[in-house]
Amino acid sequence: MILNLTNYMSGTVRVCVRGAMPEKFINLCIAQHIFLWGITKIDDDFYVSMRLTDFFRIRPIARISRVQIHAISHKGLPFLLKKVKRRKMLLLGAIMCFLMLNVMASYVWFVDVIGLKTLPSSRVKEIAYENGLRPGISKDSIMAKQIEKEILVSMPEVAWVGVTLSGTRAVIEVVEKTMPKQEDKAPANIVALKDGVITEYIVLAGQGTVKKGDTVKKGDILVKGIVPEQVMTNELGQPIINNNVPQVIKANGIIKARIWYEGYGEAELSTPVHQRTGKREMAVLVDIGSNQLSLKRAYLDPNASFEHEVVYKKLPFWRNSGITVESTINIYHEVNTLWVEKTLEEARDEARSKALASVQSIIPETAHVISRNSEVLQTSETNLVRVKVSIETIEEIGQSVIISNQ
Amino acid sequence: MQRQRNGLQKLAGLLEIPQDIVMDLPRITMLGNKQLLVENHKGIIEYTPSLVRIKLSQGELIVKGSGLTLGNFQAEQILIEGTVREIQYDT
Repeated sequence: MILNLTNYMSGTVRVCVRGAMPEKFINLCIAQHIFLWGITKIDDDFYVSMRLTDFFRIRPIARISRVQIHAISHKGLPFLLKKVKRRKMLLLGAIMCFLMLNVMASYVWFVDVIGLKTLPSSRVKEIAYENGLRPGISKDSIMAKQIEKEILVSMPEVAWVGVTLSGTRAVIEVVEKTMPKQEDKAPANIVALKDGVITEYIVLAGQGTVKKGDTVKKGDILVKGIVPEQVMTNELGQPIINNNVPQVIKANGIIKARIWYEGYGEAELSTPVHQRTGKREMAVLVDIGSNQLSLKRAYLDPNASFEHEVVYKKLPFWRNSGITVESTINIYHEVNTLWVEKTLEEARDEARSKALASVQSIIPETAHVISRNSEVLQTSETNLVRVKVSIETIEEIGQSVIISNQ
Repeated sequence: MQRQRNGLQKLAGLLEIPQDIVMDLPRITMLGNKQLLVENHKGIIEYTPSLVRIKLSQGELIVKGSGLTLGNFQAEQILIEGTVREIQYDT
């Protein structure tokens, strides 16, 4: 390895030795500490490799051993340098390329903002831009600490910000504050969200309009957002009629009600299942500009049934700016249709789980389920099993609705 | 001469000195039949791709084979590469 390297550095020459006593030439070379290698003999001619520095020392040896020396080939650094000397622009180009790479890499070309949830990234970028972080600026002139400070000061919604440089990309990482929800103090009524029978009724603020055990409909006012009137009586026991307009407030209270949900699901006793046979046909279309070219047509068996899949391929826009080139591949998978039979129980379970799933999505998570019933409906269709599911829950039904000023 | 040589050999054995240094013998290292390294030789007498004759302090070493090439990467060494079939001492 090191020997090869030193040989490369000093340059090597392969010579043809022709004459009376080539063996003597080799012996003399060895005696003179001239290293030779790859000595071969082809038709009375010796071919020998040696170092370039040794090549200039063999003239006296050649004369003594009466041989003629011809250089055949040469390789190594000295010869490469000689070649480069003749082609100076090549070297200049290589150096320019390296320099350009170095110079270009010392600028910021992209500014990215990550970690934002609600704030617009344009605002962060704007502040960064004003403080000198913009594409095309030298990396050395970026004062990351100052930019961080500036963003923090001018955007109070930001909890932490970090500016890091990775390559030619500047990344502004932002962590937003989680602000506490501001409670709405506007006057409001509590209105029923769903139909139901009230099971728990506690008014914390406002005037109650219903009582426990009442049946309410969706949209009924449960608690009015006004200050409850104190019924004043005069000394005769007659109520004093207060003509003041009642003061509006935000009603508050805990109202729970018993609510019924109904869901419905059905399942077939025998269902078709499509199974791919593995056979497929492909049709390839290529759009070039406004022309459409069919590269491959699909030949489909008219008796078989197929699943159709479309694969749409498009070059990235920056390579597709001139004429648009797009391709559409239609794949037709041949399918066999199998009828899978189910028992009545299986079909019923499936229908029930469908029915439950349809109801489950409208029941809120906080609801407390009291009972769950399911019944199979009798139908005239023999292939169908229909199941009705009814669920009874107790849940919060109050919803604040702002009183509109009239 | 012969007695002196025998005495030297005995002395070398007694002092555990490598005999090739004391007695000016060639050291031959073979790597399968691919490479043959001869140290402490006195030059090449004849070279063809099928025959190499190397002069030693006493007599010569004849290497027969095919596609033989020579090289020396250090002084007083000869490296024969190729397929070696036969090595013979000729005194």
